[in-house]
Amino acid sequence: MSVLAAGGMMPLTTRAAISTPFTFDLEPPMTAREAFVEWMVNNRGEDRHFLGQRWDRLQAMVEHKDVWDDVVKRAFLLTPREEFVQKVNRSHSYDHNFLDIGYGVTISGPHLVGRMTNSLEIKQGDKVLEIGTGSGFQSSFLAHLTDKCYSIEIIKPLAERTRGVYDELIGRGYSEFQNITTKNADGYYGWEEFAPFDKIIVTCGIDHVPPPLLKQLQPQGVMLVPIGPPGAQRVLKIIKGVEADGSTHIARTDIYNGRIVPFVPFKKLDGDKISGTHNT
Amino acid sequence: MQDVRELNSGARLYIAVGLLAGAVIALQIAVMRIFAAGNWAHFGSFIVSIAMLGVGISSTVMCVRQPWFERHWRRIASAALLAFGPIAVAANLIAQQFPFNAIFLIADDSQKWRLAGNFVLYLLPFFTGSLFLGTVFLKTRQQFARIYFADLAGCGLCGLATLGGMWLYAPEHLLLIPLMLWLAAGVAWAWTIASRRVLFGLLVAGALAWSGQTWLADSLALTRLAVSEYKGVSYAQRFPDAQRVYERATPFGHLEIYASSYLHFAPGLSDNAALNLPEMPDNAYLGLYIDGDGPIGIIRDLPASQTAYFDYLPTALPFALKQDADVFVVQFGGGLSTASALNKGARSVTVADSNPAVLNAFRHDAGLREFTGDILAKPRVKVVAQDGRIFLSNTDERYDVVDLSLADSAGLSNPGGFAIAEKYNYTTEAMRTYMRALKNGGVLAVTLWNKEEPPKSVLRLYATMVAAAREMGEPDLERCFYVVSSYLSTATVLYRRGGFSDEEVATLKARTRALSFDEIQAPGSQVDAHAADDVMAAYRAQIFGKLPASGDASIPDDSSAATEPGAESADDDMGAETGDAPTVMPSIALARAAWAALLANQWQPFADTYVYDLHALTNQRPYFAAYLRPASLPGVLDRLDLLQDEWGYLLVWATLIIACCAGAILIALPALFGWRGLLARCPGKVGTLLYFACLGAGYIMVEVVLISHFILALSNATVSATVLITGMLVFSGFGSLCAERYLDSARRVMPYIFIAIAVLLIGYGLFIDRALDVVGSLPYGWRLPCCFLLILPPAFLMGMPMPTGMTWLARLGKEQMFLWAWGVNGCMSVIGAALVPLLATSFGLSSALVLAGLLYLVALPAFRALLRPMLPASAA
Repeated sequence: MSVLAAGGMMPLTTRAAISTPFTFDLEPPMTAREAFVEWMVNNRGEDRHFLGQRWDRLQAMVEHKDVWDDVVKRAFLLTPREEFVQKVNRSHSYDHNFLDIGYGVTISGPHLVGRMTNSLEIKQGDKVLEIGTGSGFQSSFLAHLTDKCYSIEIIKPLAERTRGVYDELIGRGYSEFQNITTKNADGYYGWEEFAPFDKIIVTCGIDHVPPPLLKQLQPQGVMLVPIGPPGAQRVLKIIKGVEADGSTHIARTDIYNGRIVPFVPFKKLDGDKISGTHNT
Repeated sequence: MQDVRELNSGARLYIAVGLLAGAVIALQIAVMRIFAAGNWAHFGSFIVSIAMLGVGISSTVMCVRQPWFERHWRRIASAALLAFGPIAVAANLIAQQFPFNAIFLIADDSQKWRLAGNFVLYLLPFFTGSLFLGTVFLKTRQQFARIYFADLAGCGLCGLATLGGMWLYAPEHLLLIPLMLWLAAGVAWAWTIASRRVLFGLLVAGALAWSGQTWLADSLALTRLAVSEYKGVSYAQRFPDAQRVYERATPFGHLEIYASSYLHFAPGLSDNAALNLPEMPDNAYLGLYIDGDGPIGIIRDLPASQTAYFDYLPTALPFALKQDADVFVVQFGGGLSTASALNKGARSVTVADSNPAVLNAFRHDAGLREFTGDILAKPRVKVVAQDGRIFLSNTDERYDVVDLSLADSAGLSNPGGFAIAEKYNYTTEAMRTYMRALKNGGVLAVTLWNKEEPPKSVLRLYATMVAAAREMGEPDLERCFYVVSSYLSTATVLYRRGGFSDEEVATLKARTRALSFDEIQAPGSQVDAHAADDVMAAYRAQIFGKLPASGDASIPDDSSAATEPGAESADDDMGAETGDAPTVMPSIALARAAWAALLANQWQPFADTYVYDLHALTNQRPYFAAYLRPASLPGVLDRLDLLQDEWGYLLVWATLIIACCAGAILIALPALFGWRGLLARCPGKVGTLLYFACLGAGYIMVEVVLISHFILALSNATVSATVLITGMLVFSGFGSLCAERYLDSARRVMPYIFIAIAVLLIGYGLFIDRALDVVGSLPYGWRLPCCFLLILPPAFLMGMPMPTGMTWLARLGKEQMFLWAWGVNGCMSVIGAALVPLLATSFGLSSALVLAGLLYLVALPAFRALLRPMLPASAA
């Protein structure tokens, strides 16, 4: 708890225990906001206010074509993003923007995380390696898609803080976060012990794609690497293909297929009327 | 009350004014250095520029309450002077406890308040400094030329002293220099007015300020310089095994070198390295950080068994054609290109670097020499301690390979955006120099980061290199270039003098395939210049297109449900948004079409239709920045999240807009308060304001633009700034002194002075590049006096109009106009300084000189308005 407190990551106020633990066939209502919020309050004991924001943000992500698979939409709806941002920023948990989490690290905005996650096309049982645990939100999102998430963080106090967040949430009944295995190490070398991986997601900057990671990527595997500084970032998508003659071929694209996607503020509705945006 | 004549007597007053003016400029430099090291340099320039409006505010206040200031001048000047030191220290300490973070400026409203808070805090010491100077100017207005000489000469010489002090003090301690100058100014002032009370006050204020900056800050663990967690050096410091192995404070930047097993460099490494290499070498690099930015990788002296990965770097490409080569490395940086050339069996490697602090570290630090195998002392290596571009333009030596690869850092840590910095190593003139320095059949290899989408820098590079080759008179340009890139990584342009042979092209194609790089241009390529028209249109639509109308992005109905992978939306010209990637990425198709347009001499229509400005870099417009055309700005204000790498450019616009608004208010206030009073009896008000506005904007524009120009000859921005600040201000000071002789005949003499200034400035605008090229060819010891000689004529003459105008206002009894004019001059200085980069990026550096010349011409008729005598009181 002290690690969390030092990092401004105090857990939200104590709530009712989670009555419905996560399973991969868990199906919260996904067609109506009120039904979703009610179901989550009753089954997961989460905060009604944040649940509403989460639902609204998902609609914007869908509209913006940042998520398109139902399984990813469901994963987003089940992930309590507010638990992974700093206390001071908690009211901005579902804003579009990236947020500071200390140590010169940001938690990416939900649109980017959604786009990256859906681009990976993770199937249940896939082995996924994350380089740069950071806030822990990306792995927690992934943990609703597969039971084999591995995450490495280079900054020791951040690694410890985020591990603390996972453990605290597991203690509260978020059993899905048991799917995440973490360690504090240099992610450049991957995680040989659990290699090869079906998908690798890098969430920190480097001037080249680390060869050890490419080696630990399965044939036909996909790797995402952010390029450039926060705010002016592209996400490189690497596909380790196999040719007809058995040789390996590495192809580079990006998760937006080279498109430039300006952020579209999405409007907050009060009944039928627009009452501002969700980003102010 | 002390007699004005008494205050005017003796050198003590001039010393006090000179030292305090020097302290103000030293504070300006110190704050800019603090921001460069802790945050991002262009935010420092932004804050200091705006804070300099302190001059405008103090003059406005004085103008409105002029009689009060006349009566209490002694107390006011003393209090303002005594307050300067403690306020400077307190403002910096408070600001550094609440630093703002540039990357959250858009996302986090509190950051905007922090930025505003920084501005207000740093404005305070400039305000008090200006209040002192303004009060003294007011009391000595009849002798303004002499006091102005002291002001200018003090600024120039103290600026020089501050830059020298950077050898002694790291940025966090640099504030001690303005404190020392302030203390000395305080002693001189107490002596001038013979006041023991002021001397005692100075002792108290000095103790407060000095202890605040040193002991108090240490005791309370207050940071004097908050380094952003997002600066490159902050990341290095967090690595568990990080050790700082080198640190030096220099005017060329604060150098720090860190060792850590967590540092990995292989800029532009081919992905195929992973498939073919058993492993990458461990602990192969140190990280070099200059002012906290970086890292620049310093490579270890690797055994041959660990250097196989060099083959997978883009820097190795020219060596597929050239063995046993004489190589010239234009910028040494961290030594990767040099190590790569040596590894590839180069016969000789000549390396240049214009930053003496970097070369000094590599040559003299025992730890660094051991780590790099004393790379600069290797028998095959020859070091040129100057700009590679200037060396090559003045040597008869010829090379097989000239390399300019990734001269800047890894580009990982610039979330504050990129500053508008002169990149003379990449201009058309520089490229021509490199091409001329090649042996027959030699290869020029230029590698640049290629991380932008849509591409910007690389397209400017392509245009620049083709322009240079065209000027070289290459008969078949298409055969001279071979270009490859790696998506979101690097782009490499190879130019072969005389053109590549078929055999060489085949070799390069094989290497490109082996490295899985994308071929952008090769002799024999058949690409249509219009092949990427749809990509161009799509980029335009995506960046400047209309965002969806409000409300329609809220809660989607069934018809607007997400696009399934593989499906295409109606507006999607680049392949499916969420589906399979296009066969060729848009930016690659665009780059190929760009080369087709360049080689077919159809570049202008191509560039005109692109979303960004793609002009070739020249010595007149040497910038990899300001891609957004000014006319496009209004169309992107609602989507600044797309342009965070243009912060440096956008902040200049912000400075200009804020300075214009603040200036208008400050200029208008005295008019509102004094229109029915004394001002009503001042004829020629508009002309007078115009006169001082022209002088304020014109003078600063010349100073700022010449700093940029003189880098051409002096190779280094710091040296150039030193020479210009010192030369301009000191020579202008002498001009001011000289103006005193012609005060009585000013009506007759000044027109000639204005015309001479205008002719000189316009002439400099047209020919200074050529003169600086000649100066650049001289030994460095000769370049400095030559540069001072070049500065002398305009600077001397430009020192005359201001004191002449001010003294005549005083002689005519226009005291309020006197203060108002001083404020207008200060406000227009800020506006002029912001105008220069905008003019330079749009029209070239010379345009600023020409405009400044025209402003001095406009000042000529305005001067006649200034000389109109006061109306009698009954006429008001």
